[in-house]
Amino acid sequence: MGPFTTLTFREDGDVATVVLSRPRTNMRMVRELTAVCDNLDDVSPCSAVVFRGDNGVFSEGMDFQEFRPDQPVDIHGFNKWEKLCVRIERLPKLTIAAIEGAAIGAGLQLALVCDLRLATPESVLQLDEVRKGFLPGMATFRLAKSIGLGRAKRMMLTGAPLSAAEAVDIGILDEVCPSLDERVRALVQDLQPINTVAVQLARRLLNESYSTSFEDGIGNFLAAQHRACTQSAFIRTLEKAHDKPNDGN
Amino acid sequence: MHVRPRILSVGTANPPERYTQQEVLDRYRAENPAVRAIFSASHIKTRHLYLPPPGEDGVPRETQTELLRRHRKGAMDMGSRAIAAALEPLGLTTADVDYLCCISSTGFMLPGLSAMFIKHFGFRVNCSRMDIVGMGCNAGLNGLNPASAWAFANPGKTALMVCCEVNTAMYIYEDTVATGVVNSLFGDGCAAVVLRSSPSDENTFAPTILGFQSHIIPDTWAAMHYEWREDKGAYSFILERDVPYVLGTHAETPVAALLARYGLKRRNIAHWLVHSGGKKVIDAIKYTVGITEHDVRHTVGILRDYGNLGSGSFLFSFQRLMQEGKVRRGDYGIMMTMGPGSTIETALLRW
Repeated sequence: MGPFTTLTFREDGDVATVVLSRPRTNMRMVRELTAVCDNLDDVSPCSAVVFRGDNGVFSEGMDFQEFRPDQPVDIHGFNKWEKLCVRIERLPKLTIAAIEGAAIGAGLQLALVCDLRLATPESVLQLDEVRKGFLPGMATFRLAKSIGLGRAKRMMLTGAPLSAAEAVDIGILDEVCPSLDERVRALVQDLQPINTVAVQLARRLLNESYSTSFEDGIGNFLAAQHRACTQSAFIRTLEKAHDKPNDGN
Repeated sequence: MHVRPRILSVGTANPPERYTQQEVLDRYRAENPAVRAIFSASHIKTRHLYLPPPGEDGVPRETQTELLRRHRKGAMDMGSRAIAAALEPLGLTTADVDYLCCISSTGFMLPGLSAMFIKHFGFRVNCSRMDIVGMGCNAGLNGLNPASAWAFANPGKTALMVCCEVNTAMYIYEDTVATGVVNSLFGDGCAAVVLRSSPSDENTFAPTILGFQSHIIPDTWAAMHYEWREDKGAYSFILERDVPYVLGTHAETPVAALLARYGLKRRNIAHWLVHSGGKKVIDAIKYTVGITEHDVRHTVGILRDYGNLGSGSFLFSFQRLMQEGKVRRGDYGIMMTMGPGSTIETALLRW
């Protein structure tokens, strides 16, 4: 894997960290992030992945240098970005966006496909695409589900930046923390052991819940529950419960 | 040049009569609310069936002899149409077929279906043959494996595989949940595919069969089985309640082995052709193999429109995939069938 020019990737115990080392996303970064996803899917032993920026910027969005006004629209390029977002959304790890500074446009789109979003108090979240005359990717599909249609419209159509505190209020951010790195480390530590199969199943059922009938949903749930209960994590839970029959656990 | 066998065409056929679930209930005046509830589950809308007339009290009474006769008559009717539909697009007739593999688990015959098809449909008398009987819903891939091996060993020769199930010849009519589950699920259908290993097919848009991977779960040997019913004088198909989830749990194993053998990852598989076994088993496979609702759209669609067609179901999905026109050259696909044993069979394709 690598060498990378748009990001750095490191693994430390249970946690993998992806640092976006340029402030704007370009096609090269999409390719490199896709390669990182391959690694996380296929070989990485980590149970959590942290996506973060560099030099006080999470990501300021798409790099317009790759587009020219006199060239045809590269709609396939946009599709590659969306495929990457789906890959991140389905990674077999708990995914965390650690936001320091600006998370704008594509940067916020990337954060939205992570499981959890933590940010420093000075961070700013913004979808400025509509104001610039284009669309914020499949945030058009995802955002309303997490914050409601009205708020999603306000955010997307006005392009108004949100402070970290406002973002926590409306549920885009999970936490504001002054010492971001420390807090992320502690959080991942607290969550150990992360049962990645159960995480994937629960996340998938939640993501599907808005577009599935209850009848189909319960069928999906039972299938997923059967799978979860045959995994070693749940079997260990049962073994522990039987070792200590009186403590109620 | 020795090339891998390809699936050059597919043809399907069903009984002309189509019924909604409600029409079947009404026809036989089923009153048990539990049975009515099973029929009204939304994942099957219609099925094509050879249904016997209702008796005086609504319940049809058929002897095993009559059931076997219905299997044979239905197999002849659907078989002739499915075979013609598979051969015609290639400009072939039954006289051009060098190897005939017939698969059926819904009516025991000796001699087998292949002998009857040769007698009636104009196949040559020196056509090589194989009949696979009693392997159930997974049998289509148990047949495709040796049929494609034959095609590979006999370059340029034409092999035809016919999966023919008259599941209504396995129905027992009584107002119970056990028979209601079976009678609400299975439909009648036949699918035929033409296989050939020939460099002259290189430019045909048809998938190459790369390999197979089998898996059996001996602990659940009896989870799906035929049982002789003394009181009815006929066979009854028994389907245990939890078997869909057990099949789901094990489905990962052969898929992982097949992918590993060809150095592929799950994300490299663009098309999944999973047997339309029933809603629960499709759900279980989605969440264990990690494939999406979109991946099983044809599996779900065939279940909705035809019910579980037994051994040929996955070929009905294959036909829909090819008609959809989204497959691209170089795409990989996995075929997966599940059935008694308990069995999971898989095959890897590349277009």
